[in-house]
Amino acid sequence: MIGRTLHRFAAVAAVASLVALTGCLPTLAAESIAPPGRAARLDAVSGFWGVKSYRLELSQGVALAVSCTYGGPCEKLVAKSDDMAIAEVRAASLQTLRPVGYMGNQQPTAAVVVVGKAPGTTTIRLHSNEGSRDIRVTVVPPPPPPAAVTVAR
Amino acid sequence: MAARIGDECKPVGGIAFVEHMRTLLPSIFLTGCGLGGAMHQATLVGQCSADDAACSRRHPQAPIAIGTHFYPDVSTELAGTTTPNLRLESAVPDVVAVEDGALVAHKAGASAVLISTDDGSIVDFVHVWVAPVTKITLARRDGERITSAIALTVGEDVTLVPALWNGAQRLSGDGEAQWTETVTGPVAILRDGSADRRRLRARAPGKTTITVALGEIKAAVDVEVVQ
Repeated sequence: MIGRTLHRFAAVAAVASLVALTGCLPTLAAESIAPPGRAARLDAVSGFWGVKSYRLELSQGVALAVSCTYGGPCEKLVAKSDDMAIAEVRAASLQTLRPVGYMGNQQPTAAVVVVGKAPGTTTIRLHSNEGSRDIRVTVVPPPPPPAAVTVAR
Repeated sequence: MAARIGDECKPVGGIAFVEHMRTLLPSIFLTGCGLGGAMHQATLVGQCSADDAACSRRHPQAPIAIGTHFYPDVSTELAGTTTPNLRLESAVPDVVAVEDGALVAHKAGASAVLISTDDGSIVDFVHVWVAPVTKITLARRDGERITSAIALTVGEDVTLVPALWNGAQRLSGDGEAQWTETVTGPVAILRDGSADRRRLRARAPGKTTITVALGEIKAAVDVEVVQ
């Protein structure tokens, strides 16, 4: 009887730990848009327990602002790119306030800017007091110029 | 003074209401206004005098012509602060480079120009397009397009400004356009401090053709000087 109770408690604790590890991490959101004909798309990669990571498709030469929240703006957000030659990441200074919790306080928006430098794939790692997130970044080359179209002969 | 780009984005109403809405609907404010920087905190326009109708300030978002320079005027609209000392950086210098504070267009394409503070944090960014020149037209300084021959009396002068185009798209940027005349004598081609603009001074009766060229692209206008 006691063994069965302990077993159940351990299972609940494991589930809670998994939820804490996977589901209760900062949320990322795009804060700008790509210019026409170029890509800047941030997608969440979801698993059974929620968002596992993020993926970002970015055209070469395009920049995208990405904010980090966890019930409010992330605290002490820092970001690093595994390969700065493919995708560069810089701290963004967004002069807006976002609500924190339910007590009416507000904090400055925490954000970074990701810049597509050259075609390739790399990972950007974001760390904050609330947890860490990875963004798998794929930088795609710009589309080739359209070929001349014959409209009449 | 030209209207600031950000002006169109400001809702009418109390500041408190605006700040409240900014808090509640940040994504609408960050994506709803289509002009200025992508983060809606800075503007990047051309350096022009207020009465210069042909200046690129009228076309602040036009692509920059390959081989030309664009001299930007960057400012921010941040509550509670004047514009901090800002730096410009290009995401892809092969397309557009930043040299001595000017944007230099090298290759067709698009590149983000990052506007950052001294500590490197990004205040805003603008995607700048670069396009090749396919046509040059001439206009008077007040912007009126030259479509036929110009007649001048001796002593009279007229200022001509070349406009760069890619098809129907007006391009921005100052290029070192070459000005030549078929017959020397009737008209003097005078510089007026601008890289591309010229003042034609009628000197003696006669006819000539003035040609302005930027690389292989040319435009010409016939000028007749009468007594």
